[in-house]
This record gives sequence, C-alpha cells and structure tokens, in this order.
Amino acid sequence: MKMLDQIMLKVFLWGLPVLAAGALFNHIFDTGLAAAPMRAVYNASGFAYALWMLLSIYLGVRLILSGPFRDSVLARLTFIRERDEREALLTGRATKTTLMTSLAILIFLFCLSCFQVSFFKLPPEKALDGKTRGFSLGLKFSLLKDFEADRGNTALRRHDVFSYDGLPVSSSAIILLLIVWQIVSYNCTMRRLTKPE
Amino acid sequence: MGRSCEALKIVNRLNVLRAEHRITQEKLAKEVGVTRATIVAIEKGDYNPSLGLAFRIARYFKRDINDIFSVEEEEK
Repeated sequence: MKMLDQIMLKVFLWGLPVLAAGALFNHIFDTGLAAAPMRAVYNASGFAYALWMLLSIYLGVRLILSGPFRDSVLARLTFIRERDEREALLTGRATKTTLMTSLAILIFLFCLSCFQVSFFKLPPEKALDGKTRGFSLGLKFSLLKDFEADRGNTALRRHDVFSYDGLPVSSSAIILLLIVWQIVSYNCTMRRLTKPE
Repeated sequence: MGRSCEALKIVNRLNVLRAEHRITQEKLAKEVGVTRATIVAIEKGDYNPSLGLAFRIARYFKRDINDIFSVEEEEK
C-alpha cells in the first residue's frame, strides 16, 4: 500500500505540468486555432484530467486515513522536522499555537458569517412611523445554504443603501486561507522558538 | 497560596566536559543521537534534556548523571 501511495503521489505531481499543457491546448482548440484532426488530443487531455481528478480524490482519502502517508506527505509540505526530542517538543508548541490561532480565526469568521447588517430606504408608501430610512441587525445560522432566496424577497420590498449579509468570501477561499494560515503560522512559530536569544 | 513556589532550574557542565574531552558539539550530537542545535540549547540552559538523553550523555562521558546535571533551586 505504501509503495502504491508513493507511485500515485508521483503520478499526481508529475501530472500537474501535463495537465497545464493539456489545459492550454484545450483553450487553443476551443478558440478554433487548432486543426480539427487534433480532436483526439483534445479528448485525451480531457480523459487525463478526469483520471487526475480521481487520483486527487484517492490521495485525499489516503491522507485522511493513512497516518504514515499523511506524516510523510504533509511533513514535507509544511516543512515539519522532528530530528530529535527537542524538535519534537518545539513542533508540539508550534502546532499548539497554530491550533489556537486557527480556532480564534474560525470563531471570528463564524461570527462574521452570522451577522446581518442592513441600512435601507423604504418607499414613502411603506414608511414606518413616517420614517423612510432605517437599519436592521440580525443573526443567521443554517446548515443549508438557503439565504439567497430570503435575501431576494427582502430586496424587492426595500432599497438597501448598505447591506452586510455574512462573509462575502467563498467556502473555497476560506478553506485555502486556513490551509495557508496553518502552514505559515506553524513555520513562523517554529522559527521564533528556534531563534537563538 | 501564601507559600513561596520553588522552581527547579537544571544546570549542566556539558561545555566543561566537552572541553575536557576535546570534542565538538557536532560530534557529541552525533554520538548521542540529536542535532547540534539541541546540544547548543542544552549548554545555554534553554532546553532541559529528557532523562533518556541525559543518561546517554552521561554514558558517553562515562560519568554519573549528577556530575553533569544538577538542580539549582530558585525562588519565584
């Protein structure tokens, strides 16, 4: 299994430039610059992409399930070095800092994602106590993404001057931010801990 | 709790012993299975080695562990 994982990982990594070349070719083909007989290459690159996607899913699952594989791959990715007991201790401290800061960021982002703030103007016929301007504050939480429909209905009734409705960031961006943050935070803490006083 | 808390500070004679035996930090590190940075940290008092490492160092110098590492009590 270990051997298979290593081979798959190599195929995955070496496949990246092939994939980039394939994407470039497909773009050229889609714009009509490539000749029609090149369709076979077009199809092959699409097939290669599908295989690469499957491979990435397999490797993602293996990273979650296999401890040794996770250690070997992610240690390289995050530059974790545990050559002796002191480095193991420092790694523990750095990962604790990373965990705590990540948790703090997640709590902060969760709060931001729950808040709703809106400054609005109402049409004169719908004025409340003669007032046509107002603001509303709200909290929202839902496991399913169903806010878009609600927001659309509200928007029909009033004109929002300013509206804040949760984080304007995609879930992919947040996940990427957290991955980058964990690597940066770990390495910065490790550098601080190993820096001679 | 109204009582003074005593913290134990571990001091060592590693640099003295190393000078006596004329060995480098790099060599000692290799002999006891750690990195040179760890030997530096121990000598500077920035890191207290585990019991296992302390015994390995003592064994390497053919000394009793108490000849190398001792406790210095300090008031907090």
